[in-house]
Amino acid sequence: MTQAIALEPAPDTIAWRRVSGRLIVIEELQVLASTVVVVAANLAARLFVHNRVPLLVAGLAAAIGLVSAVVVLRSVRTWRYAERDDDLLVRHGLFLRKLSIVPYARMQFVDVTAGPLERAFGLATVTMHTAAAASDARVPGLRAAEAARLRDRLSSLGDTRSEGL
Amino acid sequence: MNAAPTTNATTADTARTADVSTTSADVSTTSATVAAPSTAVAATAGDAPITEIAVAPVEPRHRLHPLTPLLRGVHVLAIVIGIFSWQGYQQLGPLRWALGSAGVLVVASVLAAVSWYTTGYQVHGRELRISEGLLWRRTRAIPLERLQTVDVVRPLLARLTGVAELRLEVIGSYRAEAPLAYLSLPVASRLREHLLSLAGGRDGATAGPPAERIVHRVRNGRVLLAQLLTPHTWFVPLGLVVAVLPYRSQQGWNLVAVGSLLTAVLGVVQVPLRRIVDDWHFHIREDEAGLRLYHGLLSTRSQTVPRPRIQAIGVTWPLMWRPLGWLQARMDVAGYGAYDREAGKHASLLLPVADLRTAHPVLGAVLGAELLAPPLVPAPRRARWLAPLRYRLLAVGHDRELVYARDGWLVRRLVIAPLARAQSVRVVQGPIQRLLGLADVHVDTAGRLHVVGEHRDVDEAYALAATLASVARAARAREMGAHHRSASAATP
Repeated sequence: MTQAIALEPAPDTIAWRRVSGRLIVIEELQVLASTVVVVAANLAARLFVHNRVPLLVAGLAAAIGLVSAVVVLRSVRTWRYAERDDDLLVRHGLFLRKLSIVPYARMQFVDVTAGPLERAFGLATVTMHTAAAASDARVPGLRAAEAARLRDRLSSLGDTRSEGL
Repeated sequence: MNAAPTTNATTADTARTADVSTTSADVSTTSATVAAPSTAVAATAGDAPITEIAVAPVEPRHRLHPLTPLLRGVHVLAIVIGIFSWQGYQQLGPLRWALGSAGVLVVASVLAAVSWYTTGYQVHGRELRISEGLLWRRTRAIPLERLQTVDVVRPLLARLTGVAELRLEVIGSYRAEAPLAYLSLPVASRLREHLLSLAGGRDGATAGPPAERIVHRVRNGRVLLAQLLTPHTWFVPLGLVVAVLPYRSQQGWNLVAVGSLLTAVLGVVQVPLRRIVDDWHFHIREDEAGLRLYHGLLSTRSQTVPRPRIQAIGVTWPLMWRPLGWLQARMDVAGYGAYDREAGKHASLLLPVADLRTAHPVLGAVLGAELLAPPLVPAPRRARWLAPLRYRLLAVGHDRELVYARDGWLVRRLVIAPLARAQSVRVVQGPIQRLLGLADVHVDTAGRLHVVGEHRDVDEAYALAATLASVARAARAREMGAHHRSASAATP
């Protein structure tokens, strides 16, 4: 019972695709930015508060930042998605592992979003919305061309297979 | 109107003469009513089936029942009295209070009369148009393709005056769209049939009164006893003590004091009492359009639930009912959340109380669900580390159409969902579950009830997810096939 096999409902028939490696850079930058802000704020507070609390908080924030950097590095690499004939498969997660099987027939609309950081790296997030919020399949870190391709494919499949609710 | 099929002209004419006595008071008084008989009348009262209904000609504009302004006025008055109740009476004295109430009634009735005069509804092609407003005119067009259910609601006053309210529920809208209040009862039920037939398309061919069959009837004594065995009812004595205590030292009982005391007591017993009153005469009937629930002692509700819209059914065995083996069944219908605010959680109630043996055929009729021996597979024993109290009950299973999940400790629950309507299948595994080799399987629905198979063996969970996805695909395909077949059969 190896995890690799267990994570795949039908190992030989699924062609898993990975997301772009540049997603790691984006997520690491986000971790770095939030850590820097907290550490800087606490170092600034040190000028006014004359005890060790700000330094402790800053140190803690730096430690958390370091741990999250390692976690993000590993967790981003767990993103996988696969387009089967009838459904989209998305899996993700390091500690909390998730696998979603969302039929194209259940798709209501497709969103492509790209934040400023994602745009700078030429990436986008594709979200396939269904009638149940928990079912929404989100695939981040797709290159712009791949995101457009996935969006077009999903919407064309959704059109032909849609059955409403 | 000249699009009306000529073959049905005679039918429509006879229908009109037969119905003119009841409808003339309800429809607009303009000459259009007499000149152009509505196909609604012809479609339901006529003896010849109208297959050309799909062309759906423009029908004349109708007004609501002329009693509407008065009923609305009384409604407003009741609210005003409710707000200013006893304090207002105390301060103003009987005469001025009565005058003020009469004034409110007159003003409200005049406003309601203006709104009645300007409000009209009309079936226009495949749309129901409702226009209203004097200064700001507003016309709402409700596409009948999106029509989900049509409920006939009869509050107490409406029952006394022989009128009814029609509520339309439309897919994708979060509240009851455009309640038509009030219509005379025959007009309301005819319009309901007509709208449903236009919405359903193929059902338009059925003529005459729909053949209804009683699926289930809940005994009133059981409703009463079941309600007595709820925590709500058990807290009533305590609530009564709290409500009555302030009046113990009351000196000189007058109308005001008695009124306030009654209000306080009523407030306490209201919840259980309302449940009993609402569930009284609960019975389920069935016709081609789907299931229909009837219930209520003072205000009767009839709700139509088209079976293809049921997303899930939740069966619960409340703790205090368990010695009697009683259960309650709720259904989750897509887009039916709107009524929840108005009528409590009642809109979704399928069975207020039943035992396994009587509930089984009902659930069979609704979903084809197997309640006596659901195909459940219990969770592995090691699930007890994560769910020490519930692990014995945790179970999940499926057949060709439905997925079942059981859960609970004090209150047992069984959720049943048709796989054809599942939105997605997910497997989620937390860190502790990974250590134990367990995972959760979720089947998400478009409603609020989700089927969750907690703490399954991890290999089984992934296999189950894959199986459920393919079974759901097959179920969807069958449903689509059935839909196409019946659609093509209806249009030869």
